[in-house]
Amino acid sequence: MIFQPAIIALLLAAGISLAMLLAASPFAVQVIRHWDIASGSERQLKLERLTYLFSTLVAFVCLVQILAALLFVFNADKMSVMFVGAMCAVGALNVNAFGFPALYVQLTLFFLAVLWLALNHVDSRARDYPLVRLKYALLLAAIPLFILSLWLQLSYFLGLKADVITSCCGSMFSEQADTLASEVTALEAKPAMIVFYGTLAAAIALSAWHWLGHGNERGNMSGYLTGLASLAGFVAAIAGILAFVSLYIYEHPHHHCPFCILKPEYDYQGYALYVPLFVGAAAGMSTGVLRLFSGRPSLAPVIDATSRPLAGVAVVGFGLFVAVATFMIWHSNLILLD
Amino acid sequence: MLELTNIRKAFNQGKHNEYWALSGIDLAIPAQQVTALRGPSGSGKTTLLTILGCLARPTEGRVRLKGEDISGLPERFLTDIRRRSFGFIFQQFNLIRGLSAVENIILPAYPTGQPRKDLLLKADALLADVALGHRRDAKVEWLSGGEQQRVAICRALINDPEILIADEPTANLDTKLSKEFLGILEKLADKGRTIVLTSHDPMVVDSSVVNRVVSLRDGHIVDAK
Repeated sequence: MIFQPAIIALLLAAGISLAMLLAASPFAVQVIRHWDIASGSERQLKLERLTYLFSTLVAFVCLVQILAALLFVFNADKMSVMFVGAMCAVGALNVNAFGFPALYVQLTLFFLAVLWLALNHVDSRARDYPLVRLKYALLLAAIPLFILSLWLQLSYFLGLKADVITSCCGSMFSEQADTLASEVTALEAKPAMIVFYGTLAAAIALSAWHWLGHGNERGNMSGYLTGLASLAGFVAAIAGILAFVSLYIYEHPHHHCPFCILKPEYDYQGYALYVPLFVGAAAGMSTGVLRLFSGRPSLAPVIDATSRPLAGVAVVGFGLFVAVATFMIWHSNLILLD
Repeated sequence: MLELTNIRKAFNQGKHNEYWALSGIDLAIPAQQVTALRGPSGSGKTTLLTILGCLARPTEGRVRLKGEDISGLPERFLTDIRRRSFGFIFQQFNLIRGLSAVENIILPAYPTGQPRKDLLLKADALLADVALGHRRDAKVEWLSGGEQQRVAICRALINDPEILIADEPTANLDTKLSKEFLGILEKLADKGRTIVLTSHDPMVVDSSVVNRVVSLRDGHIVDAK
Protein backbone atom coordinates (compact mmCIF):
# COMPACT_ATOMS: atom_id res chain seq x y z
CA MET A 1 0.00 0.00 0.00
CA ILE A 2 2.94 2.33 0.37
CA PHE A 3 3.28 2.63 -3.41
CA GLN A 4 0.81 5.47 -3.56
CA PRO A 5 2.16 8.79 -4.85
CA ALA A 6 1.08 10.72 -1.76
CA ILE A 7 2.51 8.14 0.63
CA ILE A 8 5.79 8.03 -1.27
CA ALA A 9 5.89 11.83 -1.19
CA LEU A 10 5.22 11.91 2.56
CA LEU A 11 7.84 9.27 3.33
CA LEU A 12 10.35 11.04 1.10
CA ALA A 13 9.57 14.35 2.79
CA ALA A 14 10.08 12.81 6.25
CA GLY A 15 13.19 10.89 5.21
CA ILE A 16 14.88 13.67 3.28
CA SER A 17 14.07 16.21 6.01
CA LEU A 18 15.64 13.96 8.63
CA ALA A 19 18.68 13.28 6.44
CA MET A 20 19.19 17.01 5.86
CA LEU A 21 18.90 17.80 9.56
CA LEU A 22 21.32 15.00 10.42
CA ALA A 23 23.72 16.39 7.82
CA ALA A 24 23.38 19.83 9.40
CA SER A 25 23.76 18.61 12.97
CA PRO A 26 27.60 18.52 13.13
CA PHE A 27 27.57 22.11 11.89
CA ALA A 28 24.93 22.97 14.51
CA VAL A 29 27.24 21.61 17.23
CA GLN A 30 30.12 23.69 15.84
CA VAL A 31 27.96 26.83 15.91
CA ILE A 32 26.81 26.20 19.47
CA ARG A 33 30.36 25.57 20.68
CA HIS A 34 32.42 28.08 18.72
CA TRP A 35 30.24 30.93 17.45
CA ASP A 36 31.78 34.30 18.35
CA ILE A 37 30.57 37.14 16.18
CA ALA A 38 33.13 39.56 17.66
CA SER A 39 35.97 37.42 16.37
CA GLY A 40 37.41 37.65 12.90
CA SER A 41 39.14 34.29 13.16
CA GLU A 42 39.13 32.03 10.14
CA ARG A 43 36.92 29.53 11.99
CA GLN A 44 34.32 32.22 12.70
CA LEU A 45 34.38 33.45 9.09
CA LYS A 46 33.91 29.86 7.90
CA LEU A 47 31.01 29.35 10.32
CA GLU A 48 29.37 32.56 9.08
CA ARG A 49 29.67 31.50 5.45
CA LEU A 50 28.37 28.01 6.19
CA THR A 51 25.47 29.35 8.22
CA TYR A 52 23.99 30.81 5.01
CA LEU A 53 24.08 27.39 3.41
CA PHE A 54 22.71 25.49 6.40
CA SER A 55 20.03 28.06 7.18
CA THR A 56 18.80 27.72 3.60
CA LEU A 57 18.84 23.95 3.96
CA VAL A 58 16.85 24.00 7.21
CA ALA A 59 14.44 26.59 5.80
CA PHE A 60 13.80 24.19 2.93
CA VAL A 61 13.12 21.39 5.44
CA CYS A 62 10.66 23.68 7.25
CA LEU A 63 8.81 24.48 4.03
CA VAL A 64 8.66 20.77 3.20
CA GLN A 65 7.16 20.05 6.62
CA ILE A 66 4.53 22.77 6.20
CA LEU A 67 3.45 21.26 2.89
CA ALA A 68 3.70 17.72 4.29
CA ALA A 69 1.18 18.58 7.02
CA LEU A 70 -1.37 19.54 4.38
CA LEU A 71 -0.58 16.48 2.26
CA PHE A 72 -0.83 14.16 5.26
CA VAL A 73 -4.37 15.29 6.02
CA PHE A 74 -5.37 15.24 2.35
CA ASN A 75 -3.92 11.75 1.90
CA ALA A 76 -5.61 10.38 5.04
CA ASP A 77 -8.94 11.54 3.69
CA LYS A 78 -8.22 10.18 0.22
CA MET A 79 -7.23 6.77 1.61
CA SER A 80 -10.49 6.35 3.51
CA VAL A 81 -12.22 4.70 0.53
CA MET A 82 -9.77 1.80 0.76
CA PHE A 83 -10.82 0.62 4.21
CA VAL A 84 -13.97 -1.12 5.29
CA GLY A 85 -15.75 0.97 7.88
CA ALA A 86 -13.91 4.20 7.14
CA MET A 87 -16.06 7.19 6.25
CA CYS A 88 -13.30 9.78 6.28
CA ALA A 89 -9.71 10.39 7.37
CA VAL A 90 -10.56 9.20 10.89
CA GLY A 91 -11.18 5.68 9.63
CA ALA A 92 -7.95 5.69 7.63
CA LEU A 93 -5.98 7.02 10.62
CA ASN A 94 -7.56 4.40 12.87
CA VAL A 95 -6.46 1.46 10.73
CA ASN A 96 -3.57 1.00 13.11
CA ALA A 97 -2.23 2.58 16.30
CA PHE A 98 0.22 4.88 14.46
CA GLY A 99 -2.15 7.00 12.37
CA PHE A 100 -3.23 9.62 14.86
CA PRO A 101 0.18 9.92 16.59
CA ALA A 102 1.71 10.47 13.13
CA LEU A 103 -0.84 13.22 12.45
CA TYR A 104 -0.21 14.93 15.80
CA VAL A 105 3.57 14.86 15.31
CA GLN A 106 3.18 16.21 11.76
CA LEU A 107 1.05 19.09 13.03
CA THR A 108 3.59 19.79 15.79
CA LEU A 109 6.31 19.90 13.13
CA PHE A 110 4.15 22.35 11.16
CA PHE A 111 4.09 24.82 14.06
CA LEU A 112 7.78 24.29 14.84
CA ALA A 113 8.66 24.86 11.19
CA VAL A 114 6.80 28.17 11.10
CA LEU A 115 8.47 29.24 14.34
CA TRP A 116 11.94 28.31 13.06
CA LEU A 117 11.35 30.22 9.84
CA ALA A 118 10.25 33.28 11.83
CA LEU A 119 13.34 33.06 14.08
CA ASN A 120 15.58 32.59 11.05
CA HIS A 121 13.99 35.58 9.34
CA VAL A 122 14.69 37.98 12.22
CA ASP A 123 18.10 36.53 13.03
CA SER A 124 19.40 36.90 9.49
CA ARG A 125 18.35 40.56 9.47
CA ALA A 126 20.05 41.49 12.74
CA ARG A 127 23.63 42.66 12.29
CA ASP A 128 25.12 40.29 14.87
CA TYR A 129 22.99 37.17 14.21
CA PRO A 130 22.00 37.02 17.88
CA LEU A 131 19.72 33.98 17.60
CA VAL A 132 22.06 31.77 15.66
CA ARG A 133 22.86 29.53 18.65
CA LEU A 134 19.19 29.23 19.58
CA LYS A 135 18.25 28.39 15.99
CA TYR A 136 20.75 25.57 15.78
CA ALA A 137 19.96 24.32 19.29
CA LEU A 138 16.32 24.13 18.19
CA LEU A 139 17.42 22.20 15.13
CA LEU A 140 19.22 19.64 17.32
CA ALA A 141 16.28 19.47 19.71
CA ALA A 142 13.89 18.84 16.82
CA ILE A 143 15.84 15.90 15.41
CA PRO A 144 14.21 13.34 17.79
CA LEU A 145 10.82 14.66 16.68
CA PHE A 146 11.78 14.18 13.03
CA ILE A 147 12.97 10.63 13.82
CA LEU A 148 9.68 9.99 15.64
CA SER A 149 7.75 11.40 12.68
CA LEU A 150 9.55 9.18 10.18
CA TRP A 151 9.15 6.11 12.39
CA LEU A 152 5.44 6.79 12.99
CA GLN A 153 4.76 7.39 9.31
CA LEU A 154 6.71 4.30 8.25
CA SER A 155 4.92 2.19 10.88
CA TYR A 156 1.59 3.67 9.89
CA PHE A 157 1.93 3.31 6.13
CA LEU A 158 3.62 -0.11 6.28
CA GLY A 159 0.92 -1.27 8.70
CA LEU A 160 -1.98 -0.32 6.43
CA LYS A 161 -3.94 -3.50 5.68
CA ALA A 162 -6.89 -3.28 3.31
CA ASP A 163 -8.68 -6.12 5.11
CA VAL A 164 -8.76 -4.32 8.46
CA ILE A 165 -12.23 -3.26 9.49
CA THR A 166 -11.65 0.15 10.97
CA SER A 167 -13.82 2.32 13.19
CA CYS A 168 -15.53 5.35 11.69
CA CYS A 169 -15.63 8.90 12.95
CA GLY A 170 -19.08 8.38 14.42
CA SER A 171 -17.63 6.28 17.24
CA MET A 172 -14.69 8.58 17.95
CA PHE A 173 -16.60 11.86 17.97
CA SER A 174 -19.85 10.67 19.53
CA GLU A 175 -21.00 12.33 22.71
CA GLN A 176 -20.99 8.96 24.49
CA ALA A 177 -17.36 7.98 23.81
CA ASP A 178 -14.82 8.24 26.61
CA THR A 179 -12.30 10.56 24.95
CA LEU A 180 -11.27 14.20 25.16
CA ALA A 181 -12.80 14.73 21.71
CA SER A 182 -16.12 13.36 22.92
CA GLU A 183 -15.98 15.66 25.97
CA VAL A 184 -15.69 18.59 23.59
CA THR A 185 -18.36 17.34 21.21
CA ALA A 186 -20.72 17.02 24.18
CA LEU A 187 -20.51 20.77 24.84
CA GLU A 188 -23.79 22.63 24.58
CA ALA A 189 -23.95 24.68 21.39
CA LYS A 190 -24.73 28.03 23.05
CA PRO A 191 -21.85 28.15 25.59
CA ALA A 192 -19.54 26.65 22.96
CA MET A 193 -20.48 29.46 20.56
CA ILE A 194 -19.88 32.08 23.25
CA VAL A 195 -16.41 30.65 23.96
CA PHE A 196 -15.69 30.23 20.22
CA TYR A 197 -16.63 33.73 19.14
CA GLY A 198 -15.35 35.35 22.36
CA THR A 199 -11.91 33.75 22.18
CA LEU A 200 -11.50 34.29 18.46
CA ALA A 201 -12.70 37.89 18.72
CA ALA A 202 -10.09 38.43 21.44
CA ALA A 203 -7.41 36.81 19.25
CA ILE A 204 -8.34 39.02 16.30
CA ALA A 205 -8.58 42.17 18.42
CA LEU A 206 -5.24 41.58 20.18
CA SER A 207 -3.51 40.68 16.91
CA ALA A 208 -4.93 43.83 15.30
CA TRP A 209 -3.77 45.84 18.33
CA HIS A 210 -0.25 44.57 17.87
CA TRP A 211 -0.37 44.87 14.09
CA LEU A 212 -1.44 48.50 14.18
CA GLY A 213 1.15 49.33 16.80
CA HIS A 214 -1.06 50.35 19.68
CA GLY A 215 0.83 48.33 22.25
CA ASN A 216 3.18 49.71 24.84
CA GLU A 217 6.34 51.41 23.74
CA ARG A 218 7.95 48.38 22.17
CA GLY A 219 4.82 46.39 21.61
CA ASN A 220 5.92 43.55 23.89
CA MET A 221 2.72 43.34 25.88
CA SER A 222 0.52 43.32 22.80
CA GLY A 223 2.88 40.78 21.19
CA TYR A 224 2.77 38.37 24.13
CA LEU A 225 -1.00 38.72 24.33
CA THR A 226 -1.27 38.04 20.60
CA GLY A 227 0.72 34.82 21.07
CA LEU A 228 -1.37 33.64 24.00
CA ALA A 229 -4.66 34.66 22.39
CA SER A 230 -3.68 32.87 19.18
CA LEU A 231 -3.03 29.66 21.10
CA ALA A 232 -6.35 30.04 22.91
CA GLY A 233 -8.06 30.95 19.63
CA PHE A 234 -6.69 27.83 17.97
CA VAL A 235 -7.95 25.59 20.80
CA ALA A 236 -11.33 27.35 20.82
CA ALA A 237 -11.58 27.04 17.03
CA ILE A 238 -10.95 23.28 17.07
CA ALA A 239 -13.39 22.89 19.98
CA GLY A 240 -15.95 25.00 18.11
CA ILE A 241 -15.61 22.88 14.95
CA LEU A 242 -16.16 19.75 17.03
CA ALA A 243 -18.97 21.16 19.12
CA PHE A 244 -21.18 22.97 16.62
CA VAL A 245 -19.62 24.20 13.33
CA SER A 246 -19.47 20.64 11.99
CA LEU A 247 -23.12 20.10 12.93
CA TYR A 248 -24.18 23.08 10.85
CA ILE A 249 -22.12 21.94 7.87
CA TYR A 250 -23.52 18.40 7.96
CA GLU A 251 -26.96 19.70 8.93
CA HIS A 252 -27.08 16.83 11.36
CA PRO A 253 -27.39 17.38 15.13
CA HIS A 254 -25.13 14.45 16.13
CA HIS A 255 -22.35 14.29 13.54
CA HIS A 256 -19.34 16.10 15.00
CA CYS A 257 -16.50 14.79 12.83
CA PRO A 258 -13.86 17.44 12.02
CA PHE A 259 -12.53 15.36 9.11
CA CYS A 260 -15.66 14.62 7.04
CA ILE A 261 -15.79 18.31 6.13
CA LEU A 262 -12.62 17.74 4.10
CA LYS A 263 -14.41 15.33 1.78
CA PRO A 264 -15.53 16.17 -1.75
CA GLU A 265 -19.13 15.39 -0.70
CA TYR A 266 -18.91 18.52 1.44
CA ASP A 267 -17.13 20.49 -1.26
CA TYR A 268 -13.82 20.38 0.64
CA GLN A 269 -15.23 23.06 2.96
CA GLY A 270 -12.89 21.90 5.71
CA TYR A 271 -9.88 23.27 3.85
CA ALA A 272 -11.50 26.70 3.76
CA LEU A 273 -11.69 26.48 7.55
CA TYR A 274 -8.42 24.80 8.44
CA VAL A 275 -5.97 26.57 6.13
CA PRO A 276 -6.72 30.11 7.41
CA LEU A 277 -6.99 28.79 10.96
CA PHE A 278 -3.58 27.12 10.91
CA VAL A 279 -1.95 30.04 9.11
CA GLY A 280 -3.46 32.54 11.56
CA ALA A 281 -2.60 30.48 14.63
CA ALA A 282 0.99 29.83 13.52
CA ALA A 283 1.54 33.50 12.68
CA GLY A 284 -0.03 34.69 15.95
CA MET A 285 1.91 32.27 18.14
CA SER A 286 5.16 33.13 16.34
CA THR A 287 4.45 36.80 17.06
CA GLY A 288 4.38 36.08 20.79
CA VAL A 289 7.55 33.99 20.69
CA LEU A 290 9.46 36.58 18.65
CA ARG A 291 8.66 39.32 21.16
CA LEU A 292 10.57 37.33 23.80
CA PHE A 293 13.77 38.41 22.04
CA SER A 294 12.99 42.06 21.45
CA GLY A 295 15.13 43.08 24.43
CA ARG A 296 18.29 42.54 22.39
CA PRO A 297 19.28 45.89 20.89
CA SER A 298 20.16 44.55 17.44
CA LEU A 299 16.89 42.61 17.24
CA ALA A 300 14.44 45.21 18.52
CA PRO A 301 13.79 46.99 15.20
CA VAL A 302 13.88 43.75 13.19
CA ILE A 303 11.41 42.04 15.51
CA ASP A 304 9.13 45.03 15.42
CA ALA A 305 9.20 45.00 11.62
CA THR A 306 8.45 41.26 11.58
CA SER A 307 6.05 40.66 14.45
CA ARG A 308 3.60 43.35 13.35
CA PRO A 309 3.08 41.96 9.81
CA LEU A 310 2.88 38.48 11.37
CA ALA A 311 0.12 39.74 13.65
CA GLY A 312 -1.54 41.11 10.49
CA VAL A 313 -1.42 37.61 9.00
CA ALA A 314 -3.00 36.32 12.23
CA VAL A 315 -5.80 38.89 11.92
CA VAL A 316 -6.46 37.87 8.32
CA GLY A 317 -6.21 34.13 9.11
CA PHE A 318 -8.49 34.18 12.14
CA GLY A 319 -10.79 36.69 10.46
CA LEU A 320 -11.19 34.48 7.40
CA PHE A 321 -11.75 31.44 9.59
CA VAL A 322 -14.49 33.15 11.58
CA ALA A 323 -16.06 34.56 8.42
CA VAL A 324 -16.11 31.17 6.68
CA ALA A 325 -17.44 29.39 9.80
CA THR A 326 -20.14 32.02 10.26
CA PHE A 327 -21.07 31.83 6.59
CA MET A 328 -21.45 28.05 6.88
CA ILE A 329 -23.57 28.38 10.02
CA TRP A 330 -25.67 31.13 8.45
CA HIS A 331 -26.41 29.13 5.32
CA SER A 332 -27.13 25.88 7.13
CA ASN A 333 -30.67 24.52 7.38
CA LEU A 334 -29.94 23.14 10.81
CA ILE A 335 -31.43 25.00 13.78
CA LEU A 336 -29.47 24.44 16.97
CA LEU A 337 -30.43 27.57 18.86
CA ASP A 338 -33.92 28.92 19.35
CA MET B 1 36.50 58.88 9.14
CA LEU B 2 38.09 55.45 9.61
CA GLU B 3 39.70 54.31 12.83
CA LEU B 4 41.64 51.11 13.36
CA THR B 5 42.53 49.99 16.86
CA ASN B 6 44.98 47.20 17.63
CA ILE B 7 44.29 45.40 14.36
CA ARG B 8 45.77 41.94 13.83
CA LYS B 9 45.19 39.72 10.85
CA ALA B 10 46.21 36.10 10.58
CA PHE B 11 46.16 33.71 7.66
CA ASN B 12 46.07 29.91 7.96
CA GLN B 13 45.18 30.32 11.60
CA GLY B 14 45.84 27.29 13.76
CA LYS B 15 47.81 25.56 11.01
CA HIS B 16 51.55 24.91 10.80
CA ASN B 17 51.92 27.76 8.29
CA GLU B 18 50.04 30.33 10.37
CA TYR B 19 51.07 33.82 9.35
CA TRP B 20 50.27 37.16 10.95
CA ALA B 21 50.13 39.73 8.16
CA LEU B 22 49.30 42.60 10.50
CA SER B 23 50.07 43.11 14.17
CA GLY B 24 48.95 45.87 16.50
CA ILE B 25 47.94 48.40 13.88
CA ASP B 26 46.51 51.64 15.26
CA LEU B 27 45.61 54.05 12.50
CA ALA B 28 43.17 56.88 11.91
CA ILE B 29 42.29 57.90 8.36
CA PRO B 30 41.15 61.53 8.36
CA ALA B 31 38.27 62.62 6.17
CA GLN B 32 38.86 64.45 2.88
CA GLN B 33 42.56 63.65 2.79
CA VAL B 34 44.74 61.43 0.64
CA THR B 35 46.58 58.79 2.67
CA ALA B 36 49.20 56.59 1.07
CA LEU B 37 50.32 53.25 2.50
CA ARG B 38 53.92 52.50 1.60
CA GLY B 39 56.08 49.49 2.24
CA PRO B 40 57.95 46.61 0.64
CA SER B 41 56.19 43.53 -0.68
CA GLY B 42 54.81 41.46 2.20
CA SER B 43 54.70 44.42 4.56
CA GLY B 44 50.91 44.14 4.89
CA LYS B 45 49.83 47.13 2.75
CA THR B 46 47.21 45.28 0.74
CA THR B 47 45.93 43.36 3.78
CA LEU B 48 45.54 46.65 5.63
CA LEU B 49 43.80 48.16 2.62
CA THR B 50 41.32 45.26 2.44
CA ILE B 51 40.50 45.76 6.11
CA LEU B 52 40.12 49.52 5.64
CA GLY B 53 37.83 48.85 2.68
CA CYS B 54 35.76 46.24 4.53
CA LEU B 55 36.79 43.58 2.04
CA ALA B 56 38.16 41.50 4.92
CA ARG B 57 37.58 41.33 8.65
CA PRO B 58 40.46 41.64 11.10
CA THR B 59 41.24 38.59 13.20
CA GLU B 60 41.45 40.90 16.22
CA GLY B 61 40.92 44.58 16.85
CA ARG B 62 38.24 47.14 16.13
CA VAL B 63 37.35 49.05 12.97
CA ARG B 64 35.21 52.15 13.25
CA LEU B 65 33.65 53.92 10.30
CA LYS B 66 32.39 57.39 11.22
CA GLY B 67 32.28 56.26 14.86
CA GLU B 68 30.33 53.07 14.19
CA ASP B 69 32.04 49.83 15.16
CA ILE B 70 31.91 47.61 12.08
CA SER B 71 34.56 45.08 13.06
CA GLY B 72 32.15 42.31 14.08
CA LEU B 73 29.74 42.69 11.20
CA PRO B 74 28.99 39.59 9.14
CA GLU B 75 29.99 39.71 5.49
CA ARG B 76 26.52 40.40 4.09
CA PHE B 77 26.22 43.58 6.15
CA LEU B 78 29.77 44.60 5.24
CA THR B 79 28.69 44.31 1.61
CA ASP B 80 26.02 46.97 2.20
CA ILE B 81 28.57 49.25 3.86
CA ARG B 82 31.07 48.70 1.06
CA ARG B 83 28.47 49.49 -1.57
CA ARG B 84 27.39 52.66 0.24
CA SER B 85 30.68 54.07 1.44
CA PHE B 86 33.56 52.73 -0.63
CA GLY B 87 34.79 52.80 -4.18
CA PHE B 88 37.62 50.52 -5.26
CA ILE B 89 40.32 50.81 -7.89
CA PHE B 90 42.23 47.57 -8.25
CA GLN B 91 45.77 47.11 -9.49
CA GLN B 92 44.60 44.97 -12.44
CA PHE B 93 41.49 47.20 -12.84
CA ASN B 94 39.25 44.06 -12.74
CA LEU B 95 37.02 45.27 -15.56
CA ILE B 96 34.70 42.74 -17.14
CA ARG B 97 35.72 41.84 -20.66
CA GLY B 98 32.95 41.75 -23.20
CA LEU B 99 31.13 44.66 -21.56
CA SER B 100 31.48 48.22 -22.74
CA ALA B 101 33.05 50.97 -20.66
CA VAL B 102 29.69 52.37 -19.64
CA GLU B 103 28.32 48.91 -18.79
CA ASN B 104 31.32 48.25 -16.55
CA ILE B 105 30.82 51.57 -14.82
CA ILE B 106 27.15 51.08 -13.94
CA LEU B 107 27.57 47.46 -12.84
CA PRO B 108 28.25 48.13 -9.10
CA ALA B 109 25.20 50.38 -8.96
CA TYR B 110 22.71 47.73 -10.10
CA PRO B 111 22.10 46.34 -6.58
CA THR B 112 21.13 49.83 -5.37
CA GLY B 113 18.01 49.66 -7.51
CA GLN B 114 18.50 52.98 -9.29
CA PRO B 115 16.87 53.22 -12.73
CA ARG B 116 19.21 52.29 -15.58
CA LYS B 117 18.48 55.60 -17.30
CA ASP B 118 19.75 57.56 -14.27
CA LEU B 119 22.82 55.35 -14.01
CA LEU B 120 23.70 55.90 -17.65
CA LEU B 121 23.43 59.67 -17.20
CA LYS B 122 25.68 59.45 -14.15
CA ALA B 123 28.18 57.24 -15.96
CA ASP B 124 28.29 59.63 -18.92
CA ALA B 125 29.04 62.54 -16.58
CA LEU B 126 31.85 60.56 -14.93
CA LEU B 127 33.30 59.57 -18.31
CA ALA B 128 33.21 63.20 -19.41
CA ASP B 129 35.10 64.21 -16.23
CA VAL B 130 37.98 61.90 -17.20
CA ALA B 131 37.80 62.87 -20.89
CA LEU B 132 36.62 59.44 -22.01
CA GLY B 133 33.11 60.23 -23.21
CA HIS B 134 33.96 59.24 -26.78
CA ARG B 135 34.86 55.69 -25.65
CA ARG B 136 31.69 54.98 -23.67
CA ASP B 137 30.49 52.13 -25.90
CA ALA B 138 33.86 50.56 -26.60
CA LYS B 139 34.48 47.10 -25.16
CA VAL B 140 36.96 47.44 -22.31
CA GLU B 141 39.42 45.01 -23.87
CA TRP B 142 39.81 47.45 -26.74
CA LEU B 143 40.88 50.28 -24.42
CA SER B 144 44.47 51.23 -23.59
CA GLY B 145 45.85 50.75 -20.06
CA GLY B 146 45.29 54.40 -19.17
CA GLU B 147 41.76 54.34 -20.55
CA GLN B 148 41.00 51.15 -18.65
CA GLN B 149 42.16 52.76 -15.45
CA ARG B 150 39.96 55.78 -16.04
CA VAL B 151 37.01 53.44 -16.56
CA ALA B 152 37.95 51.73 -13.29
CA ILE B 153 37.99 55.13 -11.56
CA CYS B 154 34.55 55.97 -12.96
CA ARG B 155 33.25 52.60 -11.79
CA ALA B 156 34.62 53.29 -8.30
CA LEU B 157 32.75 56.60 -8.24
CA ILE B 158 29.38 55.48 -9.62
CA ASN B 159 27.85 55.01 -6.15
CA ASP B 160 29.26 58.36 -5.04
CA PRO B 161 31.34 56.85 -2.20
CA GLU B 162 32.88 58.93 0.55
CA ILE B 163 36.05 56.85 0.55
CA LEU B 164 38.07 55.77 -2.44
CA ILE B 165 40.43 52.81 -2.03
CA ALA B 166 43.15 52.21 -4.61
CA ASP B 167 45.59 49.31 -4.56
CA GLU B 168 48.83 50.09 -6.43
CA PRO B 169 46.93 52.28 -8.91
CA THR B 170 49.97 53.16 -11.03
CA ALA B 171 51.66 49.76 -11.01
CA ASN B 172 50.52 49.02 -14.58
CA LEU B 173 50.98 52.53 -15.96
CA ASP B 174 53.91 54.30 -17.55
CA THR B 175 55.15 57.68 -16.30
CA LYS B 176 52.85 59.73 -18.52
CA LEU B 177 49.76 57.78 -17.50
CA SER B 178 50.83 57.86 -13.85
CA LYS B 179 50.96 61.67 -14.08
CA GLU B 180 47.49 61.65 -15.64
CA PHE B 181 46.28 59.51 -12.77
CA LEU B 182 47.73 61.94 -10.23
CA GLY B 183 45.86 64.72 -12.00
CA ILE B 184 42.58 62.84 -11.60
CA LEU B 185 43.46 62.07 -7.97
CA GLU B 186 44.04 65.76 -7.32
CA LYS B 187 40.64 66.65 -8.77
CA LEU B 188 38.96 64.01 -6.59
CA ALA B 189 40.83 65.23 -3.50
CA ASP B 190 39.77 68.81 -4.27
CA LYS B 191 36.17 67.61 -4.37
CA GLY B 192 36.59 66.36 -0.79
CA ARG B 193 36.89 62.60 -1.29
CA THR B 194 38.76 60.60 1.31
CA ILE B 195 41.34 58.55 -0.55
CA VAL B 196 43.48 55.69 0.72
CA LEU B 197 45.97 54.06 -1.60
CA THR B 198 48.91 51.73 -1.52
CA SER B 199 51.92 52.39 -3.69
CA HIS B 200 55.58 51.65 -4.18
CA ASP B 201 55.79 54.41 -6.73
CA PRO B 202 57.78 57.45 -5.42
CA MET B 203 55.99 59.60 -8.00
CA VAL B 204 52.70 58.88 -6.19
CA VAL B 205 53.93 58.70 -2.60
CA ASP B 206 56.04 61.85 -2.82
CA SER B 207 53.43 63.76 -4.79
CA SER B 208 51.91 66.90 -3.32
CA VAL B 209 48.46 65.33 -3.74
CA VAL B 210 49.20 62.90 -0.91
CA ASN B 211 48.60 64.45 2.50
CA ARG B 212 49.92 61.63 4.62
CA VAL B 213 52.24 58.66 4.13
CA VAL B 214 52.05 55.61 6.40
CA SER B 215 55.01 53.25 6.14
CA LEU B 216 54.64 49.58 6.93
CA ARG B 217 57.16 46.83 7.50
CA ASP B 218 56.49 43.24 8.56
CA GLY B 219 52.91 44.00 9.46
CA HIS B 220 53.71 46.97 11.69
CA ILE B 221 53.45 50.71 11.14
CA VAL B 222 56.99 52.04 11.26
CA ASP B 223 56.32 55.61 10.32
CA ALA B 224 53.33 57.88 9.78
CA LYS B 225 53.85 61.45 8.68
